[in-house]
Amino acid sequence: MPIQIIAPAPFVDAGDGDDDDEGGVRLDVDNDGDVAMEGDAPSRKTSRHAGRIVTPGELVTDDPQWMRGHGTYLSTTADGSQSIVSSLAGTISKTNKLLSICALRFRYVPEIGDLVVGRILEVQTKRWRVDIAAPHSATLLLSSINLPGGILRKRTSTDELQIRTFFSEGDLLVAEVQTLNSDGQASLHTRSLKYGKLRNGVFLTVDAGMIRRMKSHVLTMPTSNGGGEVDIYLGVNGYIWIAKHTASLSDGAGDKGVSITRLEEEASEAIYSNVNEEISPETRAEISRIGCVIRALVKANIKIDEEMLNLGYEAALEEALQGYDWGSDTAAGKRIVDAALAKRRKT
Amino acid sequence: MEGLRNDGRRWNELRRIHCQLSTSGSSADGSAYVEQGFTKVLCTVTGPAEPGSRQRGRSDGATVVCEVYFAAFSGTDRIKRGRNDKKVQELQTAVQKTFASVILTHLLARSEIAISLHVLSQDGGTLAACINATTLALIDAGIPMADYVCACTAGQPAIGLGGGSGGGDDDEPDPYLDVNYLEESDIPSLTVATVGGGEKVAVVSMESRVRIERLEAMLAVGISGCARVREIMDKEVRRYGKEKLDGTGE
Repeated sequence: MPIQIIAPAPFVDAGDGDDDDEGGVRLDVDNDGDVAMEGDAPSRKTSRHAGRIVTPGELVTDDPQWMRGHGTYLSTTADGSQSIVSSLAGTISKTNKLLSICALRFRYVPEIGDLVVGRILEVQTKRWRVDIAAPHSATLLLSSINLPGGILRKRTSTDELQIRTFFSEGDLLVAEVQTLNSDGQASLHTRSLKYGKLRNGVFLTVDAGMIRRMKSHVLTMPTSNGGGEVDIYLGVNGYIWIAKHTASLSDGAGDKGVSITRLEEEASEAIYSNVNEEISPETRAEISRIGCVIRALVKANIKIDEEMLNLGYEAALEEALQGYDWGSDTAAGKRIVDAALAKRRKT
Repeated sequence: MEGLRNDGRRWNELRRIHCQLSTSGSSADGSAYVEQGFTKVLCTVTGPAEPGSRQRGRSDGATVVCEVYFAAFSGTDRIKRGRNDKKVQELQTAVQKTFASVILTHLLARSEIAISLHVLSQDGGTLAACINATTLALIDAGIPMADYVCACTAGQPAIGLGGGSGGGDDDEPDPYLDVNYLEESDIPSLTVATVGGGEKVAVVSMESRVRIERLEAMLAVGISGCARVREIMDKEVRRYGKEKLDGTGE
């Protein structure tokens, strides 16, 4: 005998008191036009509609022509046929015959070539352990950083002894993923003048999925109100660094051609300096404004990219919001985001 | 009052379930909040992350660790439950064992998944609410799982409700679904958790004595309740997913 289970009574808003029947009953769970239910409706021809939300345990397909990718597993039904079942909550993405599920939220998974912002966790004899918000901490070998006094200098035992003068615990750096081992643990490198220690700015974290992959993850943004230029390092891992613009060493080298002698001069102790430069109050205000724009965009579930950041910043300027925390203030944040989205639709 | 329980429900009626995902924002990898009646549980999940210093982690899979905290104000009496409390440890083991078997740990070698549960209010079915909250928090964290783990409780009253209650007479009173604190302390009850909406049982826990003939009916009611709980949680996950995707603005 199948047992019939009565669904719980809908939520009655506290405080409405006696006039429940007047409409104090919140039926959002039942009456909201729910996509999930429509997925089963005959209006959708194919159940494998890309972009549809699937949840763990949901049958994705039992058609044997599909291969299973990330976020799915094979389950054998009673009659021996195999079907692909989702193991995550997310959207289906199809690449030729490969079905995979992209989760709604996930931890950063390093890939070779990613630009990441990281924090030093531990100093070892010949390497550093770096937190990059991935399941495993990354390693940065002493041999994969730019040593002061020239890019092509050989690593010596003196450098090993002085390892803490380059990076010590808690230091922030921007680096690139060089290799991955079989566990998915990343090894980083900073052998370019674009990478290295971070200073003169603020750090913030967002979900890794909120950073859109772009051609360049280092943006230089001209700001208003006498703020000068601001550098934004959008780590693919969801770590973000917003700092006062420093004349890039690589720019300088580019002008005069890559000359080793020049690099030798530039890549001196200064790049591992722990002292902030003088930052004017105007620049500080603009840095915090950009930080708020990023937080407001993330709050509204909008992926961060250069275009949205610029539009959001413009909108924030028009609203003339100063402050340090309207990014998490939903009302102000929402206004900025809506204005930015309106601008994007116009262009 | 014919056919109704002490809080006005029928024998087969669930309490109101309210759930929410991503309650702690970006401070945890995944988080969820579940209310089942007046039982309120907050769950945060960290991981897959580097295992703690104690062990280097299994090379073939992830380790699941669980910590349960009872707020001192959560029960009727103000009791501070320490880390070594029997009840706390039992809950931790139950949650940890359950999810270690359901999470597809082989995909997450050498990492650790830390589940932390805060019981804010107890009104019966604490284990069930903890399991449900953990399921949602793991989904939010994007950790691969075979299916939802849904839990529900069922109790066996000594005398039937009479009146409008379904089929059961006084010889075989209907089991109560989703017992509250009063019922839990009054009648024998069990907690059952299933993987998915089917009949694959992951957890059965009972701390009281009951006649063996009654057990089957209790289990059957509990399992049917789990299927219903799954529907409710699934609805919330989809609602949350839709909200999350809508914002993308594409």
